[in-house]
Amino acid sequence: MRFLKAWRDSDAFNLVLVVPAVGYLLAFSAFPLIYNVVMSFQQVDMFDVGTLIRPLRGFGNYVDVFARSEAGTVLWNTVLFVVMSIVFQLSIGFALALFFQLDFPGAKWLRGLFLAGWVMPALVVGAIWRWIFAGDFGVLNYALRSLHLIGGPVFWTSDPSIALWSIIIANVWLGIPFNMILLSVGLAGIPDDVYEAAALDGAGMIERFRSITLPLMAPTLGAVISLGVIFTLQQFDLVAALTQGGPAGASNIAQYWSWQMSFETYEISDGAVVATLMMTVVAAVALIYVRAIRHEQRA
Amino acid sequence: MKRYLFLVVALLLAALYLFPLYWMYATALRPGGDLFRYPPEIWPSHPHFEITRVFLTYAVGRYVWNSLVVASGTTLITMVLGTGAAYVLARSRHPMVSVTLFVILVLQVLPPSLMVTPIFVAFNQLGLLEWPRLAVVLATSAKTLPFYIILCRATFAQVPGELEQAALVDGNSRVGAFFHIMLPLARNGILVVSTLVFLQSFGEYVYSRSLIASTDLQTATVGLSTFLGANAQDWAGLMTYASIYVTPILVIFILLQRHIVSGLTAGALK
Amino acid sequence: MYQIELDHLCKAYGRVQVLNDITINVETGSFVALVGPSGCGKSTLLRSIAGLDKITSGTIRIGGEVVNDRPPRERDIAMVFQSYALYPHMSVERNMTYSLRLRHRPKAEIRECLEATAQTLGLAGLLGRMPRDLSGGQRQRVAMGRAIVRKPRVFLFDEPLSNLDAALRVQMRSEIRRLHKRLEATSVYVTHDQIEAMTMADTVVVLRSGSVEQIGAPRDLYCHPANRFVAGFIGSPAMNFLKAKVTADGLSAALELADGQTLTLPEPQRPGRPIWLGLRPEHMEIGDETRQQHLQARVESVESTGSMSFIETKVAAVPLVVTQSGMPRVQEGMTVTIGINTNDIYAFDMENEVAL
Repeated sequence: MRFLKAWRDSDAFNLVLVVPAVGYLLAFSAFPLIYNVVMSFQQVDMFDVGTLIRPLRGFGNYVDVFARSEAGTVLWNTVLFVVMSIVFQLSIGFALALFFQLDFPGAKWLRGLFLAGWVMPALVVGAIWRWIFAGDFGVLNYALRSLHLIGGPVFWTSDPSIALWSIIIANVWLGIPFNMILLSVGLAGIPDDVYEAAALDGAGMIERFRSITLPLMAPTLGAVISLGVIFTLQQFDLVAALTQGGPAGASNIAQYWSWQMSFETYEISDGAVVATLMMTVVAAVALIYVRAIRHEQRA
Repeated sequence: MKRYLFLVVALLLAALYLFPLYWMYATALRPGGDLFRYPPEIWPSHPHFEITRVFLTYAVGRYVWNSLVVASGTTLITMVLGTGAAYVLARSRHPMVSVTLFVILVLQVLPPSLMVTPIFVAFNQLGLLEWPRLAVVLATSAKTLPFYIILCRATFAQVPGELEQAALVDGNSRVGAFFHIMLPLARNGILVVSTLVFLQSFGEYVYSRSLIASTDLQTATVGLSTFLGANAQDWAGLMTYASIYVTPILVIFILLQRHIVSGLTAGALK
Repeated sequence: MYQIELDHLCKAYGRVQVLNDITINVETGSFVALVGPSGCGKSTLLRSIAGLDKITSGTIRIGGEVVNDRPPRERDIAMVFQSYALYPHMSVERNMTYSLRLRHRPKAEIRECLEATAQTLGLAGLLGRMPRDLSGGQRQRVAMGRAIVRKPRVFLFDEPLSNLDAALRVQMRSEIRRLHKRLEATSVYVTHDQIEAMTMADTVVVLRSGSVEQIGAPRDLYCHPANRFVAGFIGSPAMNFLKAKVTADGLSAALELADGQTLTLPEPQRPGRPIWLGLRPEHMEIGDETRQQHLQARVESVESTGSMSFIETKVAAVPLVVTQSGMPRVQEGMTVTIGINTNDIYAFDMENEVAL
């Protein structure tokens, strides 16, 4: 009883609240993370999935993965996927954020509507885009043809040279709301009088954007870009819904490739190798992000 | 006058952006044969919702039910474990707080498509795959928990510390002050963040696809992806399936739109 | 009724010392004000008494009992917060009775306490309202009501009036004073406003960077400041300080000014000692030749509120503020004689700033 009373008033209460959550994360998130690294150095396939002691392969798995014929394509696709997604998400998101900063009725509400894209399950978004992209009867080809932008139908998801772009387009659609909202918050944080002072100093619209908006938005942009890279490296559902990495691996990206090796061909150790490498990248970006928001708080 | 011009432009931009959602509903409302017509009908001329057929062919009810089970379990675990932790991380000035927060931030960004490999192997060894939906709940919670803690922490941080201190002086214990004062005052924020967690886990795909073998227990996203592979001709049916599945999500979204915007932005940049 | 004894209290955050060897005795039923500039540790001291902050060393006794390790709820204290800290999700009535309900007092008793308190504070009509529907002054009253309703051993006030406008502040000042007389509960009151401290408290404690500078009755602090800091902090407008050196005879101080004026000190000092001369603006009178001593000064600027005039002068380039009642009788640029009595001249050591 006395123990209970002391507990209710002491810091032990803090521990009781924090420890379960942290313990859960260690068990279901940190442990798999480490286990994954371990597996990337072992030989793991369908037969020894159930045992703990498995033949050690050292860096053999890593060598194998990079020796695969598709490794180059996947690496290049992943870079292209991330860079292009970020470039378009960010520029469209920034443009929309600037536009919705303007004073007109319903601006806030209409801006909020864009988040509908964010709450949609990515797999469903992929399915809808696959139908929009459809070659013969897809509405996108119809629109482009009516505008005389293309001659014949484009086979968005089955033409090896553009299949990756179909994933990029859908991913940009998914990423726009998040970019726009976060950048809007950053823009709203710049006080009006700074702009007014610059206008009095004789700065025009473009000059104000260049000399005030961009520098003051730098920390926010840093955070948004890092978050964008993190989300893009998490994107899996769109690939599954649109191309499954095909045709013939032409639109495959690292996170999907890792999953394919683990769950379709059961080369689990190779899947773990790609996962380990990718998580290193994600963790590095996360570090940049954490630094960016620290900077933000100080500013 | 200029303000209304901006409004018109904004409406056009929103319409353009939301077109895929419209296209999902428009397709769902057209009978199968109308789909393969050129040019496509932007406005369905004889709307027709094949809800019964889709329920029968695609077992939408069962899939959505499984998604509901997974999402409810995930939300429950996340709320129970995350709320107290978020409160302590918002209030305590212990030096371990910043370390813990850093770890949580890093764990939040791990992509499920990469985590699923070790989780699958570990769960397999533990025998957890015998209860596949539980396995998905456990794995998904590890993803939603950091997100929940970070956003809820922002909510708790907004409740003035003096209120809690007043409760202590008034004669409450730490535990009592947490339940009587902090929780009721942070309630709205907690509910919004929980809703976000629910929506996220309701649309979860990677873990369900990888950890659930039995068709009877698979979730709505897995079902849809299976049909995408097999019947990619029946777009009216698939879009009807998608509409049935996402309409509740969109309704919740519209109801909570304002809160979702503020909840999200509070967590991501602070 | 209980007294509070603070014995060699220290508190540090890491290497930063926020409270430094503080020993204060708050007599049963007395009203003690803790006053000092922001960051002096007065709020931390109050929160340590309440048990909201932990101290590093020393003892806190309430009613003779050591309470160092007692949580706030076992100290039987009530506290009025600067932000009032009304529970926004509870009505006024529930806010006020929260502590009684936590103690599981019988319903009838709670009712009685509530009604008596509401009567005293004029809150009877507001009991059903929510805090957000109250004005600032009403919120302040509810916060007071919440504190007095359960008749605690000790009252703590953390700058309770700082969020009110000037008129309301004056009114609440005397009201709190009246309440204290009636309840006779031991009270500790934190404020940065020396006027509040001087008008309300029996005893004033002046704090600076975590240490006690002086403890005494308001009158003592004003008439006999222990050091230059207290002398400058108590009184408004603040005391003027002029650099000076004790003359060879040890009786008067030569001002270290170009024109070599001198003032005679009330007490003889060691010849040649560098000192600060302290002159209160209200102790000087312009053009009063009848006072014991005189200074020649030039009027720099004149401000008047009608009832009071603030005259900024310069004694050979050193600023000196003088107040006059009523409208000013001098103009900028005039050279005037300032009269002052010997007993109103303060002297402080230049080095350690202690009163001489």
